[in-house]
Amino acid sequence: MKDSNQDTIDFGYKQVAKTEKQSLVANVFNSVAQKYDVMNDLMSFGIHRLWKRYTIDCSGVRSGMKVLDIAGGTGDLTAQFSRRVGPTGEVVLADINDAMLEVGRDKLRNRGIVGNVRYVQANAEELPFADDSFDIITIAFGLRNVTDKQKALESMFRVLKPGGRLLVLEFSKPIQPMLNQAYDFYSFNILPKMGQMVAGDAESYQYLAESIRMHPDQATLKGMMEQAGYEQVTFDNLTGGIVALHRGFKF
Amino acid sequence: MLWTVLPTGAAEALANHLLSLDEQSPERFKKVAHKRVRVTLTELGKPFTVQALDDSLRFSWVDNEPVDCHIMTRIAVLPELRDTANITRLIKADALDIDGDPLLAQQFSRLFVELDIDWQEQLAQRLGDVPAHFLSQAFARSRSWLEQALDDQKHWVRDVLIEEKQLLVSATEFDVFKQQLQQLRATVDRLEREIGKRKSK
Repeated sequence: MKDSNQDTIDFGYKQVAKTEKQSLVANVFNSVAQKYDVMNDLMSFGIHRLWKRYTIDCSGVRSGMKVLDIAGGTGDLTAQFSRRVGPTGEVVLADINDAMLEVGRDKLRNRGIVGNVRYVQANAEELPFADDSFDIITIAFGLRNVTDKQKALESMFRVLKPGGRLLVLEFSKPIQPMLNQAYDFYSFNILPKMGQMVAGDAESYQYLAESIRMHPDQATLKGMMEQAGYEQVTFDNLTGGIVALHRGFKF
Repeated sequence: MLWTVLPTGAAEALANHLLSLDEQSPERFKKVAHKRVRVTLTELGKPFTVQALDDSLRFSWVDNEPVDCHIMTRIAVLPELRDTANITRLIKADALDIDGDPLLAQQFSRLFVELDIDWQEQLAQRLGDVPAHFLSQAFARSRSWLEQALDDQKHWVRDVLIEEKQLLVSATEFDVFKQQLQQLRATVDRLEREIGKRKSK
């Protein structure tokens, strides 16, 4: 795979050294962490809440389960999982970025979500957990920022329990050409201006638009998951394929 | 797909808000906490799953995981399920299929059936005591007026159909007719048995 064998990697439309991408992505998220939730609502017109809700509904989460929310950012999925697993379960909110983790931790604590949530700063490529630890792993809008996606998928496979499932919620490729054009216009003309106005940072949102275009499409990501060992891999296109939810099981 | 999430999300928020207005809800939740019930209605095709957490409910059209009770039936049959005495008859008539604990579904329905919200108190908290009292009185008067108007209309329709136009029979006449019919059926049955006995001889 491109991710694994080359010395350079995409950072939006730019090619950067593999060793550099992690810190460049960190800069992006350090810059937007405080305005992350507001921007998500603004950019997606609130639809990101429905995408996340659909992910939770498809997760099969039950009381007592152990869930890993990778790149959990400001904790939207973690908050929902925490209520569903109850006091006998556990949710681990993992993010490589300390600023995002801090925002997430403050938000969840202020909402009274404590007791069954653990916060871990971790790199998705090298997850610091024992083999077969989690019933469910989710990564929502995080995989495209990972330097070596294949390695990350394999790392998640390792820590997933047999019978467990991985859910990848990520921007993808719209299936309708008309929607694709409208989406491109919105992403490259409106989104950076919105980022400039609200978060005071146009570049980070330019990166967001570019990184979405560089992310593998639905079929490619499905192939990568199968290559990592996942079985019964399926995906659902949401909002015409702007976002796709991939599901895979470990048996 | 995504369109299924919006209505369930809205219904879930409304249901949980209503449940939170009754102080007795937490007690009722203890009986169903972390239990799951699924209803599959023939007309809709898609199964609807309700999951109880510690103090709230979660609805889903896309959940396919195992549940504690799965009810498969038709929309028309749902009102009959309120009475447990009907369940066996409905199962025998193939109008209902239950997989799991049938009492659980009733415990879930009790969350709403036994819901007792003090609306006047809720209004008072939001608008103040005086406006809440005024609104409650106005609502009670409107309801009583509406009930009276409906009752009058019912009487008028009944008089026209039964007394004036004589298109329908009165309830008493119908009861007498039903009683006579039952007596006639019993007599015919007796006669049929007599004839059967004589024939066999």
